[in-house]
Amino acid sequence: MSVTIRIIPCLDVRNGRVVKGINFEDIVDAGDPAEAAKRYDIEGADEICMLDIDASYEARSTTLETVEKIANQVFIPFTVGGGIKSVQDVEVLLRSGADKVSINTSAILNPNLIEEASKEFGSQCIVVAIDAKFNGNNWSVYTHGGKNKTDLDALSWSKKVEQLGAGEILMTSMDKDGTKSGFDNNLNGFLAEKLNIPLIASGGAGELNHLVDAVKIGKADAVLAASIFHYKEISIRKVKEALKREGLEVRL
Amino acid sequence: MKLGVIDYGASNIFSVVRALNSLGASTIIVKKPEDFKNTDKLVFPGQGSMGACLKKLSENNLKDSLIDALNNYPFLGICLGLQILFSESEESKGEKGLNIFSEKIKKFSEFEDKSIKIPHMGWNQVEISQNHFLLEGIKTNEDFYFVHSFASKEANQNVIYSKTFHGEIFNSAVGKDNIFATQFHPEKSGKSGLKILKNFIDWKI
Repeated sequence: MSVTIRIIPCLDVRNGRVVKGINFEDIVDAGDPAEAAKRYDIEGADEICMLDIDASYEARSTTLETVEKIANQVFIPFTVGGGIKSVQDVEVLLRSGADKVSINTSAILNPNLIEEASKEFGSQCIVVAIDAKFNGNNWSVYTHGGKNKTDLDALSWSKKVEQLGAGEILMTSMDKDGTKSGFDNNLNGFLAEKLNIPLIASGGAGELNHLVDAVKIGKADAVLAASIFHYKEISIRKVKEALKREGLEVRL
Repeated sequence: MKLGVIDYGASNIFSVVRALNSLGASTIIVKKPEDFKNTDKLVFPGQGSMGACLKKLSENNLKDSLIDALNNYPFLGICLGLQILFSESEESKGEKGLNIFSEKIKKFSEFEDKSIKIPHMGWNQVEISQNHFLLEGIKTNEDFYFVHSFASKEANQNVIYSKTFHGEIFNSAVGKDNIFATQFHPEKSGKSGLKILKNFIDWKI
């Protein structure tokens, strides 16, 4: 018995609104982020994640306002990702109310950023997000929201960011994301047993058992999902009750 | 009430300030010795290493005023704010802590079991050892949010208010007279954490 399995609802935000897109197309407005965050807190979320999917320079002040609005109302750990390019960007987000930041493309383009940011603010607040896809042999890492393939493979990149000072890894399976067919337990299980830092599983949640399997089979320390929670297809409490029935520690 | 939050220069105090403000308390940021004059209650949210924290406190001339406050009025230490109350930490050998508690802060033991990760980060159960005004309304074994690699494993029984298990047992809350301190982050522990902060706001000695 030790730390509980964390259930993390994710808010995809653009211009201060929660949005939901199907494969980044047909983006529809799905509400106010602070209201959604508050609801998740009441429902028993262990952490809130907000992903700025636009993350353009022009929209930055709106993003910070949204971060602040959420932080003023929700008193559980709060992770913000999207558009973080420098130590200054990290600092501004932490000042605005984020507890952790999630860095993806910039970590690959400039791995020093992980080291610098974790030295400055502590590993506990640096999450490295990785988008990966199976290539028949191993899992290739992609940048820019899955647009560009890199030469990196998920395992060596994970080990590298752990060494550089990342406190957690947010692993999104591009094969599973949006499919609602379950998490990539092969990928997660393969990584989790080789990492010393927590692994957050993302991509593929469609039904209750998927989240349970992500922990039981995929060995994830935390599970992240967006639409199933947003559209109330599954309640956070139901997920936790199911995990508890399997003998796993949860915060109820 | 004049509630001060110590900002020694290397800690993220914003979430604590936000949480206290959401409970209706106004806060005074304490950055220099003269700021203590305007306070009659103190929160110390600490982060990072104990050595760096003590060094910053000395550099900013906050140490003497802090020791003075610890002798006088309600004090709540959070995370590193608990650890500096001890005599020393394995994290920063040779640096002297504030010595309210004479034991040492130690690193978590390492375990073969991969599920016991260091830092201890996440929600974990807090088993209450004895009652305290700040723990009123909190049931034993509720979960609170932790982020740390060092912990108080030894302390006098009568100063221990709660214990937590992470591969081994450590003291997750300690207190003595006007001083109370938690290893967990009440400002990040949802409703239960806010209850402790509310109790602190209401605490009279």
